[in-house]
Amino acid sequence: MKNNEITWGLKRSASLLAAGLLLALSANAAKAESVLRVGMTVSDIPDWSGQPDQGYEGARFVGWSLYDSLINWDLSRSDIEARMAPGLATEWAVDPQNDKRWIFKLRQGVKFHDSCEWNAKSALWNIERLTVQTVPQFNPVQYARQRSRTGNLDRAEVVDDYTLAIYSKTPDALFPYNFYNWFMISPCAGEAAKYDYSEFAKHPVGTGPYKFDKVNPRERLELVKNAEYWDKKRIPRHDRLVLLPMPESTTRTAALLSGQADFIEAPAPDMIDRLKESGAQIYTNEYPHVWVYAFNTRKGPFSNVKVRQAANYAINREEMVEMLNGLAVAAGSTYSEKSPFFGGAKPYDYQPEKAKALLREANCSPCEIRIAMSNSGSGMMQPLSMNELVKEQLEQVGFKVTLSVVDWNSIMSISQKGWEANPDYDAVNGANPIIDPVSAIFRRYTTASNAPQGLNWGWYNNAKVDELAKQAQQTFDVGKQTEIISEMHRLTTEDPPLLFVVRDLNPRALGPNVKGFVQAQSWFQDLTPITVE
Amino acid sequence: MTDITTGNTITFQGPPAVSGGAEARSRGYWAGVARRLRHDRFTLFFLALALLIILGALIAPWLGLPDPFQTSMARRLKPIGFKGHLLGTDELGRDLFSRLVYGGRTSLLLGIVPVVLATLIGGLLGVVAGFFGRGVNMLIMRVMDVFYAFPSVLLAVAISGTLGGGILNGLIALTLVFIPSLCRIAESATVQIRALDYIEAARATGASNWSIIRTHVIGNVLTPVVVYASSLISVAVLLGAGLSFLGLGVEPPTPDWGQMLSSLRQSIYVQPLICALPGLAIFLTSLSFNFISDGLRRAMDVKA
Amino acid sequence: MIGYIIKRMLYIIPVCLGVTAVCFALMYLAPGDPAQALLPPDATPEDAAYLLRLYGFDQPVWVQYGRWVLRAASGDLGVSLQSQRPVFREVMSALGNTAVLSAGAVLLAFVLAFILGTVAAYNIGSRIDQASTTLSITGVSVPNYWLGIVLVIVFAVELGWLPAAGMGSAGSDSFSLTDWAQLRYAILPIITMSVLPLGIIMRSVRASVAEALGQESIQLLRAKGLPPYAILTHAVKNAFPQILAVMGLQFGFLVGGSILVETIFNWPGTGFLLGKAILTRDVPLLQGTILVLSISFVIINLVVDVLQSIFDPRVRRT
Repeated sequence: MKNNEITWGLKRSASLLAAGLLLALSANAAKAESVLRVGMTVSDIPDWSGQPDQGYEGARFVGWSLYDSLINWDLSRSDIEARMAPGLATEWAVDPQNDKRWIFKLRQGVKFHDSCEWNAKSALWNIERLTVQTVPQFNPVQYARQRSRTGNLDRAEVVDDYTLAIYSKTPDALFPYNFYNWFMISPCAGEAAKYDYSEFAKHPVGTGPYKFDKVNPRERLELVKNAEYWDKKRIPRHDRLVLLPMPESTTRTAALLSGQADFIEAPAPDMIDRLKESGAQIYTNEYPHVWVYAFNTRKGPFSNVKVRQAANYAINREEMVEMLNGLAVAAGSTYSEKSPFFGGAKPYDYQPEKAKALLREANCSPCEIRIAMSNSGSGMMQPLSMNELVKEQLEQVGFKVTLSVVDWNSIMSISQKGWEANPDYDAVNGANPIIDPVSAIFRRYTTASNAPQGLNWGWYNNAKVDELAKQAQQTFDVGKQTEIISEMHRLTTEDPPLLFVVRDLNPRALGPNVKGFVQAQSWFQDLTPITVE
Repeated sequence: MTDITTGNTITFQGPPAVSGGAEARSRGYWAGVARRLRHDRFTLFFLALALLIILGALIAPWLGLPDPFQTSMARRLKPIGFKGHLLGTDELGRDLFSRLVYGGRTSLLLGIVPVVLATLIGGLLGVVAGFFGRGVNMLIMRVMDVFYAFPSVLLAVAISGTLGGGILNGLIALTLVFIPSLCRIAESATVQIRALDYIEAARATGASNWSIIRTHVIGNVLTPVVVYASSLISVAVLLGAGLSFLGLGVEPPTPDWGQMLSSLRQSIYVQPLICALPGLAIFLTSLSFNFISDGLRRAMDVKA
Repeated sequence: MIGYIIKRMLYIIPVCLGVTAVCFALMYLAPGDPAQALLPPDATPEDAAYLLRLYGFDQPVWVQYGRWVLRAASGDLGVSLQSQRPVFREVMSALGNTAVLSAGAVLLAFVLAFILGTVAAYNIGSRIDQASTTLSITGVSVPNYWLGIVLVIVFAVELGWLPAAGMGSAGSDSFSLTDWAQLRYAILPIITMSVLPLGIIMRSVRASVAEALGQESIQLLRAKGLPPYAILTHAVKNAFPQILAVMGLQFGFLVGGSILVETIFNWPGTGFLLGKAILTRDVPLLQGTILVLSISFVIINLVVDVLQSIFDPRVRRT
C-alpha cells in the first residue's frame, strides 16, 4: 500500500513535468447540470455518516441535506423564527396513561436512498445506534456528540409498523426537543457496511433531499438531487450540491468573487461593500443566537446582582452594531421581543448613569474584573474587536477590565468545568445558541445545571427560576408551558446570569446568478429552493 | 554541509585556524574584515536599517507614539497619512505605525532570542561532542540527527501547535529548531581544531580539557558559528511571524507583525496597502539580516 | 558504493525510531484532554472516561507508545478522532496533493535559478551577477504567506485570471496537470512556494558553476578557444550533482513546510491537515501527520544522498 502511494506521488511529480510541456489550453467542458457550490466556514467536511460534527454548521449543510430527523424544521419563511415541523414522524405526544412514554407516529411511504424501508424498526435501530452500547450499530463517537440530548432517554420500543414509543427516565414535558437533530441513516446500508462507519461513509444513505455522490476528504462533498424526496415541495431545484470547507473568510470571499463558489457563509464585514460592488447578494437575518459573557455569580464583584445589572446597562449596543457594519442587532435579554418566550421582559439598554449609580450602591470602585475570551470560535463573530470595545465601554462606567485571551479549545474547557476550576475569572465570553428553551434557559440558568453537570458556568442560582423549571418539565400543555418559560425569561432578565451584548445577523453572500434563497431565522437553512443560472 | 533550516549549502570558509589559538590570531585578519565591511555600502545600508528597527523596538515607549492598544471605532482602517496617524489605522482603529514599531519588539524577540539561545546551547553541545569524541559525540550527534529529520517549519509548528500558542512556547519551538544545525557546525569545527598539533602540545603541558576548550577551541569555533547564526536571524523572523500568522505564536492584542498580517487580512479589500504593511515589515527585517549576514560572510571569506 | 548505500539505509532505522519518540513525546506534553474535543460541553465525566478508555488513552504512557510504534510500523496510524477515517489513508492522500505543489515549485525554481545562476556564474563580479545575488537574497527573505495574499489580490480578485483557492472542480482524486482547467488552480500556490527555493537553488547553481568554471580542465578548454556554450555545458555537467542535491533537499523542505501556503490557498495537502489537527486537538491525526512528513523527509534525504554518491563518489555523508 505504502509503495503504491509513493509511486503514485512520483507519478504526480512526473506528470507535472509533462504538464509543463503540454500547457494546452483545453476549454472547460460545458456543464449540462446546474450546480450549487457552497463555501462553508468549517475546516473540514463535517462527518457525513450520521450525526455530523463541527457544530450546527455540520447539521446545516450535511445533516439536513442527506438525512431527516423524526422532527424537522420549517425553514420556508424568513419573517418568523423557524419552528419545529413534522419530519420522519408526523406527530408526537406524551402517552396520556404514562407521562414518561412518548408516542411518535411515523411517516408512511418513505424510503431511504437505497430503497430501504423507513418504519418503526428502522427508527428504533437509529435510536439505539446512539444510545445502547451493546448493539452492533452503536457508534461511540456519534454517541458522544449526541450526549447532551440523550441524558434523560431511557429506552425505545416498536409499537407497530409506524409507531415508536420512546421512554424518558423522568417525566419531561420538554422531551421532544431532543429529537430535532437526530439524523436517521439507512439500517440496510449500515448492515451492508458490517456496522463499520468508515465503510458506511463511502456510501452514506439517508432519506434527505440530496443523495450522496462522491467525496474528497477535507476538500469537497458532492451530493445530487433526490428526485423522489418525500416532501415534494423540497425537491431541490438544482441538480448538484457541492460543499466546500473554507475556514478563512478571505478565502471564501475571494472564491465568490472569482466565481469558484455560488454561496458563502459569513463573509468578513469589511468585505461586504466589495462583494456588493461585484453584484453579489448579501443576505442577513436574525437567528437564535446571543453573544454574551457568563458571570461568575459565586465569587468576585458579579456575585452582587447590582454589579451584574450595571455591566448590562454599561454596554452601548448601538456602537457595537455600528462597528460590526450593521451585521448584528442589540441584545439586552436572552430572547428577543419576537420570541414566544419573551414574556414582557425588560431588555437592557445603554444607561451609563444608572450603571455608575449601581456600581456605587454595590460599593465596587474601581470594579476590577477579569474576563476570559477566545480569539476565534464558532458563533464568536469578531471576538477580538468586540471584546476590546466591551472593555472600553465597561471602563467608562467604572469597571477595570483585564482581558485574558486563550484559544478556542481552552475556552471550551474553561466553560465546561465551571467557575470553581478557574476562580480567577469573573466572566467568560461565549456565544449561546438559544435554539430551544432547553439549551437556552434550562441548561444554563438552573442550579441543577451547575457546571460541570450542565452549562451554568457561574453557578447562577435563583430559587424561583429553579422552581419554575420543575413546573415546566411537568406541564405537558404547550400553552401553559410557554407561559412558565416566559416567566423564567422575565426573571432571568431582571436578575441577569449573563452580560447580553448582541445577536449575530449571520451574513451570507450569494453570487449574482443565484436565485430563490429564503434565509430562515434559524441555525439551519433550506438550500433546496435555490436555482443557479 | 547542509543547513537544516533552509536546505542551503553552507559554503562558509572561516578564518584559518592559526596555531597558537584565539589570542594569537593575527589582528590583521579582523582589521581586514572591518575594512572590507566599511567599504561595503550595500551591507552598511541594511545594517543601518536593521539597527533602526531594533532601536525603534527598544525605545518604543519613549518615542511619544500613540497608544498601540487604543481602539476607536470611528477611526478604523484609515489610509496612510490620515491626520495623526502616519501609516493609518488598523481594523480596530489603532495607530498602525505605533503597532508596527511595538510589533518589532515581539517579532525581533522571536527572531533573535531563539538564535542566541540555540547558539549557546547548540554551540556548547557541538564543542563537547567534537572535543570528547567517541561515546559523547555519538550520543549528542545522534540525538541531533533525530531533530534533523524534521523540516524546520514542521518542527516549529508541531511544537508550538501541541504546546499551545504564546510567546514562550514560540521561543521554545524556534530554539529547538535551530539547535541541531548550530551544533553540527560547532562539532565539525571542533573536530578540525582538535586534530591540530598545538592542542596535542597543550595536552602535553598538562592543561585540563576545559582550559584547552576555553583557550583554544572556543575562539576558533566562535567565528563559523556566529556567522552562521547571523544568517539564521532572518529565518527566525520569518518563522516566528509565520507561527503568529497561524495563530500559534504571539497572542492578541499584543502587537506582532505576523499576527497583525493575519488579522488585517480580513480587511484587505478596504485598505490593501495598510494590510500589506506588516508583511512588508517582516520582509524588510528579514532582508536586512540576510544582507548583513551575506556581507559579513563576504568580508570574512579571505579568499574572496 | 553498495556498501555505502546499505549503510546509509540501515542508518535511517534508529533515526526513524527517534522520530517516533519525539512525535509521541510532543503529544504527551500537550495540554488538554483528547476526549474533551469530542464531547458536547455538558457531557458527564463518565462519558469522558468512556472515550478515553475506548481510545486507550487511559493506559500507561509506555504501553501507548509501544502499541503506537508497532502499529505504525505496519502502516496503521489509527483512526482520526474527528473524521473517523484511517489516519494513514488521510495523510497519504494529502501527501500527494502537497507533492504536486512542492514538485511544481522546485521545478519552477530550478528552471529560473538555473538560467540566472549560470549567467551570473559566467559573468562573476559583473552587474548581472550582483543583481542575481540580490534577487536570490530577496527570494529567501520574502514571507511567502504574505506573497500569497498579494498574488491572490492581484491575479484572482482584481484581474480574475486565476482562481483564488482550492484544487478545482475535479478535486484531488482526478487532479490532472495536463488539464488547464485544473492546472490553473495550482499556479498561484506553486509560484508562492517557489520563491524560497529559487533563492537557494540560484545561489547554489552560481557557486557550483563558478567552481566548475575555475577547474583546470575547463580552463584548458577555454584556452583552446571552445565557444562559451560548450564550456558552460561542461561546467554545468560538473556542477550537476551538487545542484541535484540542493533541489532534492528543497523538495523535502517544501513538503514538510507547506502549512502556510496551503492555509492561504485552501490546498488540501498535509499542511492543511496539520493545521486542522492542531485546531481540533485530533491526537492520532496530528501524530500521524508529523510522523509521515518527517519520515518522508528522511527518505527524500536518503534518496538525495544515494543519488549524489552515484553521480559524484567524492561526496559521501555519514
